[in-house]
Amino acid sequence: MSEVTLAATTPSATAGKTPRKTGTFMPRLIVGAVLLIGWEVVVRLLAPPYVAKPSTVLMAIPGVLTDPAFQAATGNTLAAVAEGLAVALVIGTVIGLLMGRSPAFESSFRHYVNGFYAMPMIVVLPLFSLWFGYSSGTRFATIVFAAIFSIIINVADGARSVPRDYLEVARSFRSSRSSVLFGIVLPASMPYLLAGFRLAAGRALIGAVVAEFFLSIGGLGYYILYNSRSYKHAEAFVGVLLLAGFGVGFELLVFWVTKRFMPWYRRER
Amino acid sequence: MLNNAIRRHAPFWLSILVGIAIWEIAGRSTSQAFMVPFSTTMLELFRLVTSGEFIRQFLDSSQLFLTGFCVALAIGMPLGMLLARVPALRIGVEPYLMLLYATPLVALIPFILSMMGFGFAPKVLVVFLFSVFPVIYNTVEGARSIKPEMIEVARSFRSSEWALWRDVMVPYTLPYTMTGVRQAIGRALVGMIAAEFFLSSTGLGQLIMTASQNFDTAGVFASVLVIALIGVGLMRLGTAIEKHFARWRQ
Repeated sequence: MSEVTLAATTPSATAGKTPRKTGTFMPRLIVGAVLLIGWEVVVRLLAPPYVAKPSTVLMAIPGVLTDPAFQAATGNTLAAVAEGLAVALVIGTVIGLLMGRSPAFESSFRHYVNGFYAMPMIVVLPLFSLWFGYSSGTRFATIVFAAIFSIIINVADGARSVPRDYLEVARSFRSSRSSVLFGIVLPASMPYLLAGFRLAAGRALIGAVVAEFFLSIGGLGYYILYNSRSYKHAEAFVGVLLLAGFGVGFELLVFWVTKRFMPWYRRER
Repeated sequence: MLNNAIRRHAPFWLSILVGIAIWEIAGRSTSQAFMVPFSTTMLELFRLVTSGEFIRQFLDSSQLFLTGFCVALAIGMPLGMLLARVPALRIGVEPYLMLLYATPLVALIPFILSMMGFGFAPKVLVVFLFSVFPVIYNTVEGARSIKPEMIEVARSFRSSEWALWRDVMVPYTLPYTMTGVRQAIGRALVGMIAAEFFLSSTGLGQLIMTASQNFDTAGVFASVLVIALIGVGLMRLGTAIEKHFARWRQ
């Protein structure tokens, strides 16, 4: 189980290590320019005109961003992701804490949590669509399902690794079980929770997009699908860029929160 | 000895049995359209297996999975090591790799569909895209973790670039690459199902889709159960591979 956490924490651990010297800027600029120019040239020479290339995507940006349909779709998807993540976070944290601290709970739930985590989340879509219909309810359920297990696993790992001393002090002061759980174990497993949340946010975003593809309900994913079907690739690609922005945004947010509120955690790794 | 084994495995089997019992009861007390009991699911699974339908679709999916995954490994590993070996290149490429790693790549499927159509190649591309980044990422990590002294020693013994790769780079990086392989296995499975759902419908993805479109709840449950078990099996396999190579890690 610990390898899940390890995997969860490596990317941002490196992000912290990235040298912040002036030497990094030029290579990045050059590689970026080469990638963009290469893409432009290849598409111009080899692909049909509707295929997105940097110049057309760039020109499509203002039009797309001011398009009310696009704004509505983005708001729709973001609200669904936020809602699903919030539910997954609350339920996942409670289950995770219980699993980490109670062996009975752990042994009865562990295999199911691991099993559901290992399951490619999109296979539940046909099932959920049978249950909740072709509606935003199915999307919501998919987002929660996609997000919750990485939170449970990471919180359980964190709760398991709470230093024994903390718990002994609590016991000598006769703290109640719930105040130990939420007053000591939860704060102590915060870094794990954040690592789990980072994974969960990425998975929730994927879940939302896939659900919109599958169900054809309004949102950013459907906006991309619809526009690329009508051969407006440049417009659709702006949607992809925005999704990438959200993905990176979540990463940076968690990185910033960890650095700001839990500076000791970085130093350990 | 036997007693010990029972004590160790009892909670596992108990929790599985309780789960199956809950499933059976829930399935019997709700509408068949909503949920089918465990026993019905098993009968449906038995029917799928004996009719040869399941085996055919499974082989079809395996072919897609293995092709995409092997291409990802064949490109990701050398590329990752090359990036680690040439620091300027690594620094230049790193932010873009991070960006692609954080992007929900499923969003690219509609583009792949309209550019490449319904063949086998676009599906392989999806599996490849899903699985290549963890391999590259972890390989770079591994190759960066090689102590500079190692390379200096190799240099001072005048080892050729080829020998340096063979004796230092590859052996030191492999354990990290295997962490990437474990992550990539899970993502390749997601990519496989996504490709089978949204590009041409084949394999296990088609099995689920057809059942779902026919409101055949038993069929949906049977195929979702199988895919969940495949997921668990692959995750076990990935962890085993990672552990096997982790013995090299100091």
